[in-house]
Amino acid sequence: MKTQFNRRGALARLGAVLAGVLALPVARTAKAAVQNFFTSSGAPKGYDPTEHKWLICLDATKCIGCGLCAEACKKENDVPQGPYYRTWVERYIITKPKPGSAETRGETLVDSPAGGMHGFPECPVPEDQIEQSFFVPKLCNLCEHPPCVQVCPVGATFKAPDGAVLIDKNYCIGCAFCVQACPYGARFLSPVTHTAEKCTLCYHRTTRGLKPACVEICPAEARIFGDLKNLQPDDPLRKFYESNRTQVLKPHLGTGPRVLYAGLDEEVR
Amino acid sequence: MTTGLTNTVAEAIPTFQGYVYPNEATLHPVWSTLIVIYPYITGLVAGAFIMASLVRVFNVKALAPVYRLSMLTAFAFLLCAPLPLLFHLGHPERNYEIMMTPHLTSPMAVFGFVYAWYLMAVLLLELWFDFRQDLVKWSEVTPGFQGVLYRALTLGVTDVSEQSVRLDMKMEWILSIVGIPSAFLLHGYVGFIFGSIKANPWWGNVLMPIMFILSAIVSGIALCVFNYLVLTWIRRKTVDMRCLDTMAMFLFYALVVDAVVETLDVLHRGFAAEEGFAVLQTMIREKLFYTLNLGQVIIGTLVPLLLLGSLQLLRRRVPELVRRRMIFGSGAMILIGVLAMRWNVVMGGQFFSKSLRGVMSYKMEFAGQEGWLISAVIMCLPFIILTVLVKLFLSERLPASEPGPHAAAMGQPH
Amino acid sequence: MRRFRLPPQILRLVLLTLGIVGTYLVARTLLVPESFGAYGWYRGAALEEIASRTPVFAGKKACAECHADIQHKLDKFEHKTLSCEACHGANREHALNHDVVPTTVPGSLCLRCHEANPSRPAWFKQIVVKNHYGDKCTDCHLPHQPSQSP
Repeated sequence: MKTQFNRRGALARLGAVLAGVLALPVARTAKAAVQNFFTSSGAPKGYDPTEHKWLICLDATKCIGCGLCAEACKKENDVPQGPYYRTWVERYIITKPKPGSAETRGETLVDSPAGGMHGFPECPVPEDQIEQSFFVPKLCNLCEHPPCVQVCPVGATFKAPDGAVLIDKNYCIGCAFCVQACPYGARFLSPVTHTAEKCTLCYHRTTRGLKPACVEICPAEARIFGDLKNLQPDDPLRKFYESNRTQVLKPHLGTGPRVLYAGLDEEVR
Repeated sequence: MTTGLTNTVAEAIPTFQGYVYPNEATLHPVWSTLIVIYPYITGLVAGAFIMASLVRVFNVKALAPVYRLSMLTAFAFLLCAPLPLLFHLGHPERNYEIMMTPHLTSPMAVFGFVYAWYLMAVLLLELWFDFRQDLVKWSEVTPGFQGVLYRALTLGVTDVSEQSVRLDMKMEWILSIVGIPSAFLLHGYVGFIFGSIKANPWWGNVLMPIMFILSAIVSGIALCVFNYLVLTWIRRKTVDMRCLDTMAMFLFYALVVDAVVETLDVLHRGFAAEEGFAVLQTMIREKLFYTLNLGQVIIGTLVPLLLLGSLQLLRRRVPELVRRRMIFGSGAMILIGVLAMRWNVVMGGQFFSKSLRGVMSYKMEFAGQEGWLISAVIMCLPFIILTVLVKLFLSERLPASEPGPHAAAMGQPH
Repeated sequence: MRRFRLPPQILRLVLLTLGIVGTYLVARTLLVPESFGAYGWYRGAALEEIASRTPVFAGKKACAECHADIQHKLDKFEHKTLSCEACHGANREHALNHDVVPTTVPGSLCLRCHEANPSRPAWFKQIVVKNHYGDKCTDCHLPHQPSQSP
């Protein structure tokens, strides 16, 4: 009987410890929530992610395919050498239909050599055979419902309150599930950090009031960037979405991109 | 869609046809051979367990001789199931984060818990209740380290009274019942890891978990057939033909259902022919031609169906030795076929671009994280573990078990 | 009076389970990062870490602080949409410390945008080099005022 009693005592003590342990992380989370972020020396001061909501608009009718954006992105973010791009430019060449084929168009050729960061080689199709040709800049689609975030097993990638989809490279386990889940091919596994990597919306720039590098560098104003929570009356962002019929990529997947396009073609995906 | 003209553009990068997103133009897919064997091993676990459950839950007495072997097989493979996942990580040392901050919308995070539940709450418990009585007995008669091990495994509970053993049996029955949905969950969830990827038309499919479960059952039974025949051969025992025929029967039925569901999947894809169907067709015709048509369909399904099916009809007229060889052959072929199926799913989903405009090539490497050597080693590991387990818990030198559903357990003289 | 007593094997398993769960919970308090969960299911501190990176491009505004004259010129011509660093290269070091010599402009820069390419939008000014006059763009065009000659 005595042992029985002791066991019960032990059980009760264990229960009390468990209850305490369970409550601890909750208490700590609450404390962390009221902490003031952006306090370390390297980080910009006074940025509150809940006070902004970023949006990117891309005008495919303006893109001249210079690839300065892809190049600037590599430089700005120290993106690894090789087939790793946070933003890139695609070239679409739609040929004329074969005579008598009763089609509206021929074949669609797409290429993006080195992500377009050194520009594009000469057009492989003679000019008189081209029906339409254009460039399309691509980057992370800043999904409202990001499938990459959904599948991350540890919470290393997330949608920040300002809409940026980011990766915590000090927490990512490098399982590449997010790379598989991204419908836009915007993610890759970095050969340097062995973690997933992607467009950060140049978070280190936007939090300092600068534009993302690709937007800053675009000579044709094909990339427009802005803050929906702090719109200016003459904001180019507002002008863009009020004057264009916009489209998103792969809308059937329900990802709700916050990257809006103007002037896309059905062949773009 | 992708013909002559497209190829001229792509010639600059010879390993690709058509257009692939720049980030997809890597040397090898981000998930390679390790992720092929991961669902393979998990499937074998689930299948072997369900096979064992036939004895407990459905009271299929003919299968009693392989009950313990199946359970130990499931256990040995379950121990190795997370290894391929672990080794493919960019940061394996951070693996604990999956358990510490599991992101509950992620199939991979939930897999951690399903795995833990299945290992600890189902398989280990059922094994413990099944072996407890024997462990107590063995710990008394076995000297040395082995005896200490048996004693430790009893967890200090030495009560083998009739009442206590009856409770063990009842618990085992409950655990088996809980275990079947758990096994379905375990492997269904592995299927869901792929089926939930809507970005990938080869994977994103509601049938995926179901196909994974069914092929898991098929491969698990095939593995038990394989292990049973190899073990009796090593031990120079006579094969219990009633048991083997019953296994072959269940294997046949499971294979029929599996083949039907997989055919439905193909029909559905062909009929719906959604966006990207053209690129999937190219892939089947080129990249997956051998593994799909030869590996999965002919070796893995049609030939075994024919062999096992004819045995169902002509069982009495086929001599024992031929029957044994036919069943063994079918089992081995199914094991290859299911591996091919895992390859087709995992690699197939990465052989085409998510732009649906091009296909990638892949040359398998030998060494390194992406090489097949490490996968081969991981594939051998469960067999080594199983050998040790069989030596420890199905040894012929141990005193016979009490009569139970496993009365004629492996290694006991018939 | 018979009191209900857990069978020994069940009791042992219950204790074992509690031990495992307890160990898990203790491990959790030790291993979950402090800021985890501040904004959502991630390390809140990661936001700050990602933002701590040093920018490479200074941005047009920074250039205009000193080079307002050029900026004014630029604004009157077609190149008004260009960022200084699109041609001059990333020069944040120079913007922060004027003693740092800015990067030089590579020669073939104009053609990167203006070489005729059927994929470029029709409204955009393009030239076919072999049909165009002269060797050097800057012989006839001022980069900041492209429609004016030097």
